[in-house]
Amino acid sequence: MKKFLRFIRSMKFGMILLILVMALSLAGSLIPQQDKAMRYVSLYGDKTAALLIGLGATDIFHTWYFYALEILLCLNLVLCSILRFPRIRKAAAEWQKKAENAETDQPLSEGQRSKLEEYLSTRRYGKAARDGGAVYRKNALGFYGSFLTHLSILLVLLFGSLVLLTPDIQDRTLMPGDTLTLDDGTQITCDSFHIEDETGKLDYASVLTAASADGKEAKQQEVRVNTPLRFGAYKIYQHTYGTAGQVKITNRKNGAEDLVTLTEPTNLLIDPMNGVIFNALYPAYLVDADGNYTLITNTSGSYPDPVYDIRSISGGMSASMLAFPGEELVNGDIAFTFLDPVEYPGLRIKHVSPWLFGGLYFSFGLMVLALYLCFFAVPVYVSVKDDGYAVLSPKIQEGLLIDLRALLEEKEESA
Amino acid sequence: MNMLFFAALIAYFAASAAQFFGAAMKKEGPRKIARLLFGAGLLLHTAYMVWRGIEARRVPLANQFEFASGFAWAAVVIGFILYSRLKQQWVMTAAMPAAFLVLSYAAFQPMEIKDIMPALRSTWFVLHIGSAAFSYAAFAIAGSLGVSYLVQLKKGKKEDDARMKQIDYLGYRLVCLGFLLLTVVIFSGAIWAEQAWSSWWSWDPKETWALITWIFYAIYLHQRLRLKWQGKRMAWLAVVAVVLVVFTFAGVNLLLPGLHSYAV
Repeated sequence: MKKFLRFIRSMKFGMILLILVMALSLAGSLIPQQDKAMRYVSLYGDKTAALLIGLGATDIFHTWYFYALEILLCLNLVLCSILRFPRIRKAAAEWQKKAENAETDQPLSEGQRSKLEEYLSTRRYGKAARDGGAVYRKNALGFYGSFLTHLSILLVLLFGSLVLLTPDIQDRTLMPGDTLTLDDGTQITCDSFHIEDETGKLDYASVLTAASADGKEAKQQEVRVNTPLRFGAYKIYQHTYGTAGQVKITNRKNGAEDLVTLTEPTNLLIDPMNGVIFNALYPAYLVDADGNYTLITNTSGSYPDPVYDIRSISGGMSASMLAFPGEELVNGDIAFTFLDPVEYPGLRIKHVSPWLFGGLYFSFGLMVLALYLCFFAVPVYVSVKDDGYAVLSPKIQEGLLIDLRALLEEKEESA
Repeated sequence: MNMLFFAALIAYFAASAAQFFGAAMKKEGPRKIARLLFGAGLLLHTAYMVWRGIEARRVPLANQFEFASGFAWAAVVIGFILYSRLKQQWVMTAAMPAAFLVLSYAAFQPMEIKDIMPALRSTWFVLHIGSAAFSYAAFAIAGSLGVSYLVQLKKGKKEDDARMKQIDYLGYRLVCLGFLLLTVVIFSGAIWAEQAWSSWWSWDPKETWALITWIFYAIYLHQRLRLKWQGKRMAWLAVVAVVLVVFTFAGVNLLLPGLHSYAV
C-alpha cells in the first residue's frame, strides 16, 4: 500500500499522466469529434468507425477515462506538491537561518564591504541587520514558485471544469422589437440588430435590453462578438445571425393587415386553391442578356439585392416566381406585399456564477505569477560581515553562478 | 513597400550565410558583417511592420503571413538581446537561421492586407498574439541551440565543455521564457474565447495543440529541474518540441480546420 501511495504521489506518475493526456489530446485533434456516425463510416470504414465509436474516440474529451485522467492528475498534484507546503515553508525558514549563521568564505576589505552592500541595495536586496553584519535577501517568494504553480494548475482544472460543466446555456433567435422572458422572469429585448455598420464593414451588433423580473434593474448595451451583455448571473452573447423575409398581408375588403416574418418555407394560403407559398429568400441575383435569373445562395454580409422565391397559387393553378421587395401580389381580395428583409440575431444566453469565473481568472493570474517566481525569482542570500561574505542559494543554477561570479570578480578587481 | 519585406529577408539570409562562413573559418570579420546585416535586416523588417500596421490600421499580426513575420521579428529581437548580454557568437548562429527560415515561410503566404474580421477586434488580440510570437521565437531559438549543441557534440566537443554548458543552459532558459509566454497565450486566449464564443475551452485543434506543446515543455522542464537532465537529452527534447511548435503554428491551420481557421 505504501509503495502504491508513493507511486501515486511521484513525479513519475505525474509525467505518465501528462503523456496520456497529451496522447489523447493528439487523438482528439486528429479524429473529428462529436460528428455523425455516417461521417466516421465514410472516413474510416464500418469496422474502424464502430471501434472508434465504441472506444469513445469520437468524443474523447468527454469520455470517462479522460475525466479519470484529470482526476488522477489532480490527486497527483495534491499529493505531490500541495501537501508539501509545510516542508517548503520549513525549508525557506531554514535557509534564512543558514544565511544568518553562515561562515564567510570570501574575504572583504573595508572598502569592498561598502561597495558590495551598495551593489546589493541597488539590486533591491532586502537587508536584515545582525550582530557584526547583515543578511541580504532577494526573491524569497521564489521558494514557493513550484508550489504555487502546481496549486494554480489544480485551481485551473477545478474552476475550469466547473465553468465548463455547470452553466445553463440556451440559444435563441430574437427578432428586433421582440422580447424574450427567461424562466426566472428576466426579460431580454432586442432593440435593434445590424450585420454591417454604416460604412459597410461586417459588424454583427445587437442593441439589447435586459430587465429583471420585478423591473427594478435594467441594462441596455450594444452586444458584439467580443462584448457580451452581463446582467446578474447572465451573459448574453451575439452568437449567430440571420436574415428573414417579411410579407404584409392586406385584406382589401376590410382593410385588415398582418405582418408575417419568414425564416423557413411557409404556406400563406387563403384557401387550398389560392394564396402564396414562400420557399426561400436569396441574398442577390444575376440577370443575363436573355433575362434569365441566377440566384446567389449565400453571403456573409447584408443582402444586397434580396429576392423572394415563391409559388403563387390562384384558382388551383400554381406558378413559381420571384418577388422583389416592394412588389405586391394580389389574389382576390388579398394583397401580399413583399417588404425589405429584416436582419436578426441568434443569442446565446448563459447562466453561470460570476464567482466561478472570478476563481478561474484568479487561477490564470496566479499561474503566470507562479511560473515567473519559479523560473526568474531564484532566492539568494548574501551574508555580509566585517571580514568577509558568503553567498547562499537553494536553487543553484548555472546562470546565477555566472552572474554572481562576474559581479564578485568585478568587485575584487576594482578593489 | 513589400520591397522592405524582401530586403529584410535577403539581409537575414546574407547574415546567416556570413555567420556560418565566419563560424566555419573561425574568423571574426564575416561574423561582424553578419551582425551588421542582421541589424540592417531588423531595421528593414521593423520599418515594414510599422508601415503595414499604419496601412492596415491595426497591429499587423492578424493572419498567417503577418504572424510569421512577427514571429521572425521576435526571434531577431531575442537574438540581439541575448547577444548584447552574453557577447557569444553561437547565440547569433542559432538566432539568424531561425529568423530567416520563419520569414521565408512568411514569404510563401498571401501578403495582401485584409480587413480584420469582427472576432479579432478585441483588446486581447495584442497580448494573445504578441506573446505567441515571442513564445514561439524563444522556443525556435532554443530548438536551434539544441541543433547547434548536437552538431558540436558530433564534431567531438565534450558535454562538460564550458561553451557546451552555456549553450545547454541558455536553451533551457529560453524554454522557461517560452513556457511562461505560452501560458499567457493559452490563458489570454481562454478569456478571449469566453468573451467571443461563450466557452473558455472548446478543444479546437489550435487550442488542443497549444496544450500538447505546453505539456511537452512541462515534461521538458520537469526532467531538467527534478531529474537534472542536461546536455544531449535536453537538446533532443528541444528539437522535437520545435516540431510541435511548428505544427501548432502552421500545421494546424493547414490541416485541421477549426475556430482559428481565419488565421490562414
